[in-house]
Amino acid sequence: MPSTQTPPIAGLAIDPPSLRPPIDDAVIERVEPAGLHARLEELAAGGFTMLLDLGAVDYPQREPRYDVVYHLLKLPATAATVAEAGTPVRMRVLCGVPGERPQLPSATGIWKSADWAEREIYDLFGIVFEGHPDLRRIQMPGDWEGHPLRKDYPLRGPAREKAPRPPFALKSNVQAGTPPTGRTLEALQEQIARVREEGASP
Amino acid sequence: MEMSPGHFLLARLDDVARWAQSTSVWPLTMGLACCAIEMMTVTSPEYDIARLGSEVFRSSPRQADLMIVSGRVAQKMAPVVKRLYDQMADPKWVISMGACASSGGIFDNYAIVQGVDTIIPVDVYVPGCPPSPDGLLYAVNLIQQQIREGGRGGILARS
Repeated sequence: MPSTQTPPIAGLAIDPPSLRPPIDDAVIERVEPAGLHARLEELAAGGFTMLLDLGAVDYPQREPRYDVVYHLLKLPATAATVAEAGTPVRMRVLCGVPGERPQLPSATGIWKSADWAEREIYDLFGIVFEGHPDLRRIQMPGDWEGHPLRKDYPLRGPAREKAPRPPFALKSNVQAGTPPTGRTLEALQEQIARVREEGASP
Repeated sequence: MEMSPGHFLLARLDDVARWAQSTSVWPLTMGLACCAIEMMTVTSPEYDIARLGSEVFRSSPRQADLMIVSGRVAQKMAPVVKRLYDQMADPKWVISMGACASSGGIFDNYAIVQGVDTIIPVDVYVPGCPPSPDGLLYAVNLIQQQIREGGRGGILARS
């Protein structure tokens, strides 16, 4: 069951995941937060017994700001042949989460492996998983403030954000404020427009 | 010098103790990052830190004399490193191995301590990313020299 592209969120100016090249190793599906838990339960009951990975992405200029991504695996319950056992079905469930008070239902009741992954997402993105048995930080020290993988978290930390860099770290040929990739917002939007044009004319 | 029964040597106890200390500097088994790979190499036959009497990596800080901070220290690891240092019995020495341990190195970010000397006193800094095993051997040599001479602190091991 090859899928085409990551389903876009309707009516968005920028939705980076929908601009990626087609991925055909998994079925990709976008779910609303309200229907997420029911859908995951349905999938688990339908044979997706394994939650491979659970991650989040921050798109600061988009609303919903975050995407939480569930990577699921379905193995044949009783594989008749080696080939059958070797062709699992993969599934990716995306769920947009709003930037204000980001919250999702926990999947720990469905897959135990969601436990630490949800703690990690809570730690680094600040997305709260309702119903998680033990929602504490897992990577950063327990008394840490802020969520470092959010794009608006300063790289050197809030305390040292304004501290001058040592002279050897300054690149005089790069204008202050230029992102390391050199890609500005304008450049990104141009690229998006270009991709859309190419997509429209087959 | 020929020694036979009836002959004896006179020495100051201090000198004998320092000689013994300097030839049995036991490091703590503590690898933090990729520098730890080079630290392990130092124990291999090719570099053979046993020649200096430092091949016995102790797994307990109570038995170790030397802490080799081999790699970047994460903010979350910092209290652990500090506690291990505090648990080591005096006298004790610290080698800051590599750019990350000495200054944060390429990791100029929120997660990494910008130089382990902000949390514990460092005796010898070894530059490099990672330093060659020779560099670490030289640092242990400098530690030995320090022990014999009774001084300490802030030496840059540049080979």
